[in-house]
Amino acid sequence: MQAFLKGTSSQSIKLQKDKAAGSSGEKKPKAVPWVEKYRPKCVDDVAYQEEVVAVLKKSLEGADLPNLLFYGPPGTGKTSTILAAARELYGPELYRQRVLELNASDERGIQVVRKKVKTFAQLTAAGSRPDGKPCPPFKIIILDEADSMTNAAQACLRRTMEKEARTTRFCLICNYVSRIIEPLTSRCSKFRFKPLANGIQEERILEICKKENLKYTQQGIDELVRVSEGDLRKAITYLQSAARLNADAEITESIILEIAGVVPPNVIDNLLQICHKGTFDKMQIEVKNMIDDGYAATQILNQLHDCIIEGHLNDKQKSVVAEKMAVVDKNLADGADEYLQLMSLTSVIMQQATQSS
Amino acid sequence: MSKLSLRGTASSGKLNSWVEPSFGGLTESSGLSDFSQKKGQRSGEGKGKGQLFGSDTSSKRPKKRRADSGASDFRSLCIEVSPDDQDEPWVDKHRPCSQAELAVHKKKIEEVENWIRTHLDSKTIHKGGTILLLTGPSGCGKTATVRVLAKELDYQIQEWTNPSIVSEFRTDDSSFKDTFDPNSRFNSFQGTSQTGAFQEFLLRANKYNCLQMSGDSLATDRKIILVEDFPNQFYRKPTCLHDILRRFVRTGRCPLVFIVSDSLSGDRGSRLLFPKEVQEELKISNVSFNPIAPTSTMKVLSRIVAIEAGKSGGTISAPDKAALELLCSGSSGDIRSAINSLQFSSLTDHSLEKSLWAAKKGKSTAASRKAGPKPKAKSRSSRSVDTLEGSQAIGGKDASLFLFRALGKILYCKRESFEASEVPRLPGHLSEHQRDKLLVDPEVVVERSHMSGEFFTLYLQQNYVDFFSDVDDVARASDYLSDADCLTAEWSSRSTMLGYGSSVATRGLIHANSARAKADCQSSVGFKPLHKPHWLLVNKKYRENCQAAQSLFVSFCLTPVGLQTELVPYLAKLNNPMRNPAQIAFLQDVGHLPLRKFPGRLKLEALGDKDGVLLHEDSEGEDPASEALHPKETTDPDSGTGAEPTPSCSQEAGAELPMSQPQPTTTEALLEEEDLLIEEYDSD
Amino acid sequence: MSLWVDKYRPTSLAKLDYHKEQANKLKNLVQCGDFPHLLVYGPSGAGKKTRIMCLLRELYGAGVEKLRIEHQSITAPSKKKIEINTVASNYHLEVNPSDAGNSDRVVIQELIKTMAQSQQIQSSTQREFKVVLLTEVDRLTKDAQHALRRTMEKYMSTCRLILCCNSMSKVISPIRSRCLAVRVPLPSVEEVCSVLTGICKKEGLLLPAELARQIAERSGRNLRKALLMCEACRVQQYPFSADQEIPETDWEVYLRETANAIVSQQSPQRLLEVRARLYELLTHCIPPEVIMRGLVTELLGNCDGHLKGEVVQMAAHYEHRLQMGSKAIYHLEAFVAKFMAIYKKFMEDGLDNLMF
Repeated sequence: MQAFLKGTSSQSIKLQKDKAAGSSGEKKPKAVPWVEKYRPKCVDDVAYQEEVVAVLKKSLEGADLPNLLFYGPPGTGKTSTILAAARELYGPELYRQRVLELNASDERGIQVVRKKVKTFAQLTAAGSRPDGKPCPPFKIIILDEADSMTNAAQACLRRTMEKEARTTRFCLICNYVSRIIEPLTSRCSKFRFKPLANGIQEERILEICKKENLKYTQQGIDELVRVSEGDLRKAITYLQSAARLNADAEITESIILEIAGVVPPNVIDNLLQICHKGTFDKMQIEVKNMIDDGYAATQILNQLHDCIIEGHLNDKQKSVVAEKMAVVDKNLADGADEYLQLMSLTSVIMQQATQSS
Repeated sequence: MSKLSLRGTASSGKLNSWVEPSFGGLTESSGLSDFSQKKGQRSGEGKGKGQLFGSDTSSKRPKKRRADSGASDFRSLCIEVSPDDQDEPWVDKHRPCSQAELAVHKKKIEEVENWIRTHLDSKTIHKGGTILLLTGPSGCGKTATVRVLAKELDYQIQEWTNPSIVSEFRTDDSSFKDTFDPNSRFNSFQGTSQTGAFQEFLLRANKYNCLQMSGDSLATDRKIILVEDFPNQFYRKPTCLHDILRRFVRTGRCPLVFIVSDSLSGDRGSRLLFPKEVQEELKISNVSFNPIAPTSTMKVLSRIVAIEAGKSGGTISAPDKAALELLCSGSSGDIRSAINSLQFSSLTDHSLEKSLWAAKKGKSTAASRKAGPKPKAKSRSSRSVDTLEGSQAIGGKDASLFLFRALGKILYCKRESFEASEVPRLPGHLSEHQRDKLLVDPEVVVERSHMSGEFFTLYLQQNYVDFFSDVDDVARASDYLSDADCLTAEWSSRSTMLGYGSSVATRGLIHANSARAKADCQSSVGFKPLHKPHWLLVNKKYRENCQAAQSLFVSFCLTPVGLQTELVPYLAKLNNPMRNPAQIAFLQDVGHLPLRKFPGRLKLEALGDKDGVLLHEDSEGEDPASEALHPKETTDPDSGTGAEPTPSCSQEAGAELPMSQPQPTTTEALLEEEDLLIEEYDSD
Repeated sequence: MSLWVDKYRPTSLAKLDYHKEQANKLKNLVQCGDFPHLLVYGPSGAGKKTRIMCLLRELYGAGVEKLRIEHQSITAPSKKKIEINTVASNYHLEVNPSDAGNSDRVVIQELIKTMAQSQQIQSSTQREFKVVLLTEVDRLTKDAQHALRRTMEKYMSTCRLILCCNSMSKVISPIRSRCLAVRVPLPSVEEVCSVLTGICKKEGLLLPAELARQIAERSGRNLRKALLMCEACRVQQYPFSADQEIPETDWEVYLRETANAIVSQQSPQRLLEVRARLYELLTHCIPPEVIMRGLVTELLGNCDGHLKGEVVQMAAHYEHRLQMGSKAIYHLEAFVAKFMAIYKKFMEDGLDNLMF
């Protein structure tokens, strides 16, 4: 039975010794992902989001804080900002008492909003810190990923928000402000977090590279900035991955492309060539190969989109293809089969392309 | 209980009329004269009745009412009418007293009569008890038939009713006086279950004659035992009943009659209590009643109206003919409900009633088209079919459809041709979508089928292909079904979307069938058997097999898809010795597919016209009504213009013959067989 | 005797047969000591699981191979009991949360929480974190994926996640941006051939190059399938001959016959027969998506140039429906019916053209 259970891997153990020896030697004291390591420690560190930083800084200087609603694409620093602000406001000791952080991974039904949020909100807060420094006489409840809360829970929240306004500030964080119910948005000051500008991002990345002693090429960094599309977290994760995967090698363009899962441009070009000139069977084989190579259909779709828009089809043809792309994108998001969806897209492209010739 | 105690407390003089069905024994009271009177009044002319019985004792009334509260059946045996008797239910007042008055079809009565005659008299020849089973929807006159026959054939009825509390047996001896021989020791009932009591009753009733209360000699040993109520225990464990019946058949001496109402849920009644094998084993004869034909209902209603109107002298408003027709159709063959409605509508305020009727009139046609006769004029004036509910407002019985008919309605989609002037023409490029007017309202049909739209759609999906001849049509129809499924897939919006889903499915199917676009080209398909959907079974098996695969081959640590499409099929091709028996069995079963032949694995399950919902769907529809759709009996002038009667109709027409009922037990057995198969997988 | 697939499964990164460069990178990753969350994706049969197990072995040593199958029951806040099978060693826990259906979110939260909070890692280990391996992440509900994103960060210090999936498209972008994505392509035909030949050699068998190539192509570069095929070939006939018939699974043959039945006649009656066959496939555990895809492939091979485009459009449409809806048969049947309609029209038009 034992052998049976070990179906996945054979039982050779001879590797064990040297492996154990090898890895214990290079054990590091603490392994922190760079995303955490380089999370902004204070509000000033927050990159590129001037408006909200200004508001928070005023509050750090003693002004009252409104209820906040942060929204924007992922990786723009929403969570980092409020965490940094809270840390600065309360210092490390009070932080635990004064800040309640709830996110989608916590149970956040209407019951929790009623009980947990309410009980926390009802605690009173003093106006000073144990070390004597003044701190604002309120607590902060951070509701991360608020757009995944049910509408009922959100509705329940609005009453709590008003009732506890004296002692508690809420900070709602979400990607899509449209998924927050109107009564809540009207009770908060909204701040949109913009995708980071390329320059700022590059600056940050270079900073990290310097601190981590990384070797890199300029093209590599440019590509990293490009593929991360204003998402700093993505950029840092990619950077760390590139550094880890390649040990001491330089961080180059191709490494970044591979990590980001970008389909090599020549593959996309080839596919389009076949759409224009080839036969259906060739196209079928090509699409199959792309899927077999593990490329994500959404990625292929995005890249095809760029190529088509810049391509030489006429406007009418482009619009037909673009419409099909929208449908395919939606279908993929619904979990439809990648191969069939891509086939249907490429066959539309083919049909349009051959019409022109 | 109340019925029993009532009998016990009645004065002995009147008692006879209760205990003894025979009217011969009545000395002075209404029964006899009523009887004869009624015979003379068959034509429905009952003017004199009120006066005739105006002098009748009012002392009976209170008891009566109590009786009614106990059982809503035609229980009492005589008609009594007194001027101040307004609030007595007409159902009881106008209970049929002769065969001629029975609204039940002649052949059915004859059948029952023959059976009773044979078995009453031939008792000496056949040693042992004989059993008759009467089935049919409620309110179709099963009990009334037995009672009337009892009167005419001159035998007694001993009836079982469920004791409400067993302890009552001890405390209130008097309550048994009529049902049981008073000589028996009631104390023996102490602490026994209903089942025990039932058994006791059967065997005792068997031995002793009814006590002849009035001491007159008329009561003979000609009697039958009547059982309408079954102890609950039997529903849970029908075998108890069967055992008792076996004993009864061996030792019994008099005929035993069971009356079981069909209900929509199908499985509950006769099928559960009297499965086919038992019926055969015990030689139980089965007579199944049909819903009362609208014409017969109409006759009865008009007779009653005539009597009541004449008697009341204006206080009772006589509904006009149209209103009566509406009642007939609304009752869907349940005469009891029809009479109740009639009484209700006659007693309510005159003016209000009038306006209500007026409002209904226009809308009534849909109902009557489904369920009964109606004047032609109205049918033409009615544009919409979807206001059916309106007619139900007054005393209407909620007309339910047996699934079989509901499906037939959608699949055969009867249409009516437009009259030339009012045809709304589609523009030329859409002309292929031109359809004649539908005679059914799909939403109503689904609702009446007492089944969720989803299930209904499944049934449709199973059966629709047979009704199509063109592949293009099938493609469109299947596309609609696919739409319907997508609409209802999202669970959060499901409750809202269910209705739309079934609408899309039903209407889509109907529309897609271009061969049936016109009213006059519809009879091409002919009768097709309907089947139960396979999908549920297939889906269940699929899930169970997948789970079994997962748990049996968990050690391979594969994703389900890899496991099911690669590992298992190839393992079946390899002879790898390390597998345990359960795995081997699974591989045998699932890894191999029968190649190069069309599968015989899934048996088609024919859907009977009385079949209810699937086993695991809990339909609580107690309402046993079915549509009164008797093409032969209907006087509907429109039925000719529409189309051929649907298959359900034709079957219904055939149902006049005794054994036309489908044999539900066979399909049941099939289902069980399939279940067994699945359990084998489980044991893996 | 275990299957060749298991018997010759590589157990260390160094021994992997293909994508060696990637294996090296993974090795680098492990040796750095710290380790981001991983998202391993690629088609079925590319060797994702093998790679992950090699990686774990690299991390923890042979201890990860001591697997035990556990049956866990988790109580959801709604008091609903969820039963789920997990495969665990002292260092890692493997679970397929999509087994739990709609309750997958609870499973993820509870399992990761308990895993992260239990500190009972033996002192002999070198890592301060355990690994939770989640398979079929692409089948997780959106709800569960959202729950995952923060959980990933929260328990980062004690727990690393390795997510395994076939298609990245179904993984939400917040998760993608938190993980190091590792793409595992299918091995090329040549790579499959060399693996097959190598294994046959170890078994003491002689595999003709021609047959190896045949198998590799027929398997669609799916190594697991190729190995199973090869083993089935061995059962069927040894010594191998270069042109021997490669055994196919019953369901593939059955599916092809179904496709032939569709092409040979288009009528409502035939549709009923096809439906019965579809049911048969379903009861034999073939998932509807696989049936759909297989049917499309077979049917495409049977029809003419510009018909193919249309067929693909329909297939994509109904396959999407299949994912959205709850009753697969509606959509499968709709596809078949639609194909019949198109095909019939096409054939009739073709006949007309011939006549005039």
